[in-house]
Amino acid sequence: MRSRTEWRRPVELACRVVAIVLLAWALGLALRPDSVLSNNAQLDAEDLPEALRRWATGPAPDSVHVRLDSVPEAPWRDWLVSLRRTGSAVGWSGTLVPLAIAVEPVNAPAGGARLLVAGSVGDSVAVRDALGPFDTLYLAGNGGAVRVPALAEPAHAALGSGWARAVPDDSLVPGAVLVIGTAGWEARYAIAALEESGWQVDARLTIGPGLIVRRGTAAAVDTARYVAVIAFDSAAANESRRLVSFVRAGGGLVLSGIAARIPGLRGIAPGQPGTRVRPAVVAFTAETPRRALGFYPVARPGADAVVLESRNGNATIVARREGPGRVVQLGYDESWRWRMQGGEGGMEAHRQWWSSLVASAALVRGSRRDLSGIPTGAAAPLVAVVSALGEPVPRIESPAALPGRAGPHGWMLVVSLALLLGEWTSRRLRGAP
Amino acid sequence: MVTEFVFATVQYDSGDWDSAPLVPPNIIDSVARYTSIPVQPSGVTVPLAATELFGYPFAYLTGHLPVRFSEQERANLREFVDRGGFLFIDDHNHDIDGAFHKTATEEIARTLEPLSELPNDHALYRAFFTFDDGPPTTGHELNGWGDNLVHEHLLAVERSERIAILYSNKDYSSEWGYHPENKRFLSVDNTRFGVNIIVYALTH
Repeated sequence: MRSRTEWRRPVELACRVVAIVLLAWALGLALRPDSVLSNNAQLDAEDLPEALRRWATGPAPDSVHVRLDSVPEAPWRDWLVSLRRTGSAVGWSGTLVPLAIAVEPVNAPAGGARLLVAGSVGDSVAVRDALGPFDTLYLAGNGGAVRVPALAEPAHAALGSGWARAVPDDSLVPGAVLVIGTAGWEARYAIAALEESGWQVDARLTIGPGLIVRRGTAAAVDTARYVAVIAFDSAAANESRRLVSFVRAGGGLVLSGIAARIPGLRGIAPGQPGTRVRPAVVAFTAETPRRALGFYPVARPGADAVVLESRNGNATIVARREGPGRVVQLGYDESWRWRMQGGEGGMEAHRQWWSSLVASAALVRGSRRDLSGIPTGAAAPLVAVVSALGEPVPRIESPAALPGRAGPHGWMLVVSLALLLGEWTSRRLRGAP
Repeated sequence: MVTEFVFATVQYDSGDWDSAPLVPPNIIDSVARYTSIPVQPSGVTVPLAATELFGYPFAYLTGHLPVRFSEQERANLREFVDRGGFLFIDDHNHDIDGAFHKTATEEIARTLEPLSELPNDHALYRAFFTFDDGPPTTGHELNGWGDNLVHEHLLAVERSERIAILYSNKDYSSEWGYHPENKRFLSVDNTRFGVNIIVYALTH
């Protein structure tokens, strides 16, 4: 029969061997580049995809610090967020370019989009779509904007390593426009401008007492058919009650010239036409063409009215909301001269002006697009990163500060120490050196 | 206030552009008499070669003599039509093969495109008064007063399905060339078709 001393020797040997193996294992982990043992991974953005893939199938570090030189795409950002939610501390550092882009579909038959770009004042941002670049925007205090006749989605903004990407949220369905007025050049050429821009236009043009030339369908003034109505003069007086209801149901109303004097429309008009102002200049210029037009200044605009354009302190275009609808009041009553006498480009400018005016007032009919396949946060990626990962920090603090997180190497040291202590105690109790 | 309609007579370098001075006041009188369209009491004369032409989207051109436009006149006419102007040309001779007709139609073809027959059920003939048979005949066409040389159709150049140039060789310039006060002697006002032309131009 073996003595107690003989029985202890193999146990002591086993404890020594296991302790040495554990210490060697811990030493090996400590020597790895992204040492799990150290619990603090520091890496550059270019190493992030590979590291994330490795951590997805193996042990993740207690803390990750990424040095970013550009905003990471949504999958990597979301992966870092997941890492944080599983207990790793995640931080980042780097000087990233703040950039954001939004795409507004234009509420007009010709379609197109308006791109709004925000960034640092003074930046020159390249804007492009899927087919290539189309503009460079110099950002002022309120950012920059550009209108494009057609957009191959998505729209991109880029500045150095900064980027942003967006698609329109809505798809719009433009409706018909109704023109009401006395037969005359202003109505005639506004109709031409709108039709040439693709709007479907119905018209009721008064040519005599009780005599109205009708173009298009004889539909009632309601939002089922029309998205906007243009009233040129007192010929719209008979429809004033319906026009008020139309606006309060979400329709758009454009009051041109003296139409705002119609008593039934005064309650919803942004202001009242004042005394007519003569043109400031004789000839049309490409830069300020409407200075060659006379106008009725919009006097006494309401408190909720917004002056969209003015000349020498006189408001020429004013708008206001009436419930869900919008009312735009134009002082101009001879914009047709711009088309006829505006020289090269005048016709196109007049066309775009009328289309934009109607689009700005018109009821927006459309539907939210299914954006489920489009990454979130791409429109303002830096904001998305800060929202997800917090503000940039120089580096992650000591992982020991993390609550409730014991490193994978801790048990190795504890067990090794326990084994060595047990082996030493056993030897001393049996009198061995 | 709606901008007043102004009746503009076109002055061109060749021919006798001022051969029908009583037509503008007579048509102005009719427009004021039958419609509520604001109209300037007197017409204006505007050179075809001048940029002032573009301030008058409706223009009337007539004459007896051969027409030959200058390059500037052609350029202005082209731009006038492209921008949406309406030009009414009337052959003061009412000939089939007269000097004005031949040269004016050639000029239009050279400047824009050849004139086409306007169908007699065109919206022009219902723009205000109704003319079921197309363009009303004139006393200079009908036998008795005239030579029985009746032109069945008017001619036109159209842009975007609207008339840009209306051409007549029915001699409305003679038919309407009288003082407006003398309308009271007519059983049926023969300027009514002139009202249709103005209303059409303002509404189409």
